[in-house]
Amino acid sequence: MGGLTGFVVWNTSVYNGIKRRPSTGRLAILILEHDAKSLLEQRGMPVPKGLITPVSAPVTPPFPAPWVLKAQVPVGGRGKAGGIIVLSDPGRLAETADQLSALRIKGFPVEEIRVEEAISDAREIYLGLVLDAASGCITLLASATGGMEIEAEAGTGIHQRSARPDTVDMMAALDELAASLPGEVAPAIRAAGAIAVSAFLDLEATLLELNPIFLRDDGSWIAGDVRLGLDENSLSRQPEFAALLDTRPQAYADAVFKRDHGFDLVIVDPEGEIGLVTTGAGLSMQLIDEMTRKGLRPYNFCDIRSGMMRGSPDRLIATLRQLCAAPRLRCVLVNIFAGITDLGEFAELLHRARDAVPELQVPMVVRLVGNGQARAEAILEGSDGRLKLIPDLDLAVAEISELCDA
Amino acid sequence: MLERLIDHSAAPLRVMVQGATGRAARNHIARMVAAGTTIVAGVSPNAVPGDTVDGLPMFATPAEAVAATGADASLLMVPPLSVLPAAIAALDAGVDLIVTVTEGMPVRDAMHLLHASQAAGATWIGASSPGLVVPGRCKLGFLPDIALSPGPLAIWSKSGTLSYETGLRLVAAGLGQTAWIGVGGDPVKGTRFADLVPAFRDHAPTQAVVVVGEIGGTEEEDLAEALLETPIGKPVYAILAGAAAPEGKTMGHAGAIVSGGKGSLASKISELEAAGVAVFRSLAPMVETITADMKGKTP
Repeated sequence: MGGLTGFVVWNTSVYNGIKRRPSTGRLAILILEHDAKSLLEQRGMPVPKGLITPVSAPVTPPFPAPWVLKAQVPVGGRGKAGGIIVLSDPGRLAETADQLSALRIKGFPVEEIRVEEAISDAREIYLGLVLDAASGCITLLASATGGMEIEAEAGTGIHQRSARPDTVDMMAALDELAASLPGEVAPAIRAAGAIAVSAFLDLEATLLELNPIFLRDDGSWIAGDVRLGLDENSLSRQPEFAALLDTRPQAYADAVFKRDHGFDLVIVDPEGEIGLVTTGAGLSMQLIDEMTRKGLRPYNFCDIRSGMMRGSPDRLIATLRQLCAAPRLRCVLVNIFAGITDLGEFAELLHRARDAVPELQVPMVVRLVGNGQARAEAILEGSDGRLKLIPDLDLAVAEISELCDA
Repeated sequence: MLERLIDHSAAPLRVMVQGATGRAARNHIARMVAAGTTIVAGVSPNAVPGDTVDGLPMFATPAEAVAATGADASLLMVPPLSVLPAAIAALDAGVDLIVTVTEGMPVRDAMHLLHASQAAGATWIGASSPGLVVPGRCKLGFLPDIALSPGPLAIWSKSGTLSYETGLRLVAAGLGQTAWIGVGGDPVKGTRFADLVPAFRDHAPTQAVVVVGEIGGTEEEDLAEALLETPIGKPVYAILAGAAAPEGKTMGHAGAIVSGGKGSLASKISELEAAGVAVFRSLAPMVETITADMKGKTP
């Protein structure tokens, strides 16, 4: 369950208080801070020296303390959750890392940390670029005050401009933003913003937040923290994003699963008892909701995209194998109600997948609705004593409930 | 365009299908024609003049298809990275409506298409729409025939499959649709729930609206705002999925994210209820309530 990728979570971001809330929808995969800093550093963004290391056996950095130890988890609010610790005594590295390893930050275990040089004697300023889904534009935000309490600035201290997703429009917006800030802050926002705009466009980002940017009295600056959200749908034309999944698959397990198998499967409860083989995210979520409310424990979310299986049982086999890994699995519910899928073909594929994964021994309740229903029923009916066909979803869930009680 | 789409007395849409040669597309074209859709052309880059697929004349470009057939709407069934260029070609050819059913369109492409469709004055339904249906008039996309029937309800949905289940149960209860619009679950889209309010406010045959939403984004909240500003004058029911969705985990379908305050289920429920919408978290009670409310109203 380690290193699950996730979506950008907004509750620690600045947007709650601003007048026009961004309508984000699904934003992106949140790239871990270390990886985001590496991507931006390659584009000329100054960032503190740092390295990524397993929390269980932290490597001593080749630069002097004080260091900042930062939990690498794909959610915001690390600082407030105790996931960022400043360390001045190099001898206490392992001990401090231990302290971080005990944390779960919004459900995410801490498996890796970034150890970086501490920056002192600097003020904190803020720059953010974020997709505004409703308008199809990008909102650029900047503030002369940054840091963990940035939300307190929302509404007053944060300036914002909207721009089309192209260099000319975004640079013009950045210029206006910088001009609205105090003179000692504007040059750093301009310089950091130019790199951020180019990175945002190149990487097809949906979020890029520099918070804080450390600004020194001499005008020099460095990006203290970076939050970067990338669009999974752009993966096939984004070589750097693709390379990241190749080199650090354990950190982006869900995205790697989706890339390799072409569909979504997310373990929502490692102790769950019910395996789901379902198509459609909305109905899968609704099933999880209704089961959870009845006290049942679904193991996984699944949007197998049955319309895209192209006559191959591979997705079903991958799903059934994944379900075998559930230690407390009691039964499996297959629910396919699809506009696209031919159910006769689906039934054949399900049959083949079951043959390919004989280790899955639990009973299976199957509910199929749509084109080719009769043929599907003919194929599956009586095929196996452990498989039960039920045409109504509520009745199928009732059957699952009985199997879990038994 | 939405007004014309749902008005049975208006001229039927003349539809072209881009990417009409794939197995899935041909299968669905047959179902769409059976549902009453006037499909006049197919577009495939390799087509040469005189080509037909299942009797449908094929063209290499949308411009040629429009010139030859007067197509004014396009259904795109092309791969994710081809949606933007294919849709731009359709807009350039002058169609008034594009429906894109492909899943996985990059967000950046969707942003460009949103601006292009607005500049062209055209309506875009998508990205990743399961399609739209006006029973007895037309069907574009995948919505399953078993859940379609003429009736008094409008269904607006972000989620495909959850709306199928909703539609099926309502039809089983005797309640079909005036129209069913799948706006799609992606964050950036051509038509949002709130954009549907004006066309359906003035649509007498629609007696109630059923909204199928889910966590993520602020579309439900924006709908609530639109309903408060200009009441729609008919009951609105909503089912929202994602109560048990863990924060910060991938739920696959675009839109499925718990995004702090706004976008959460709690925020959607409170804002929709404040706008007079009856919000449900389970299907069975919603179907029961709608059935009871509609009793005696249905002609």
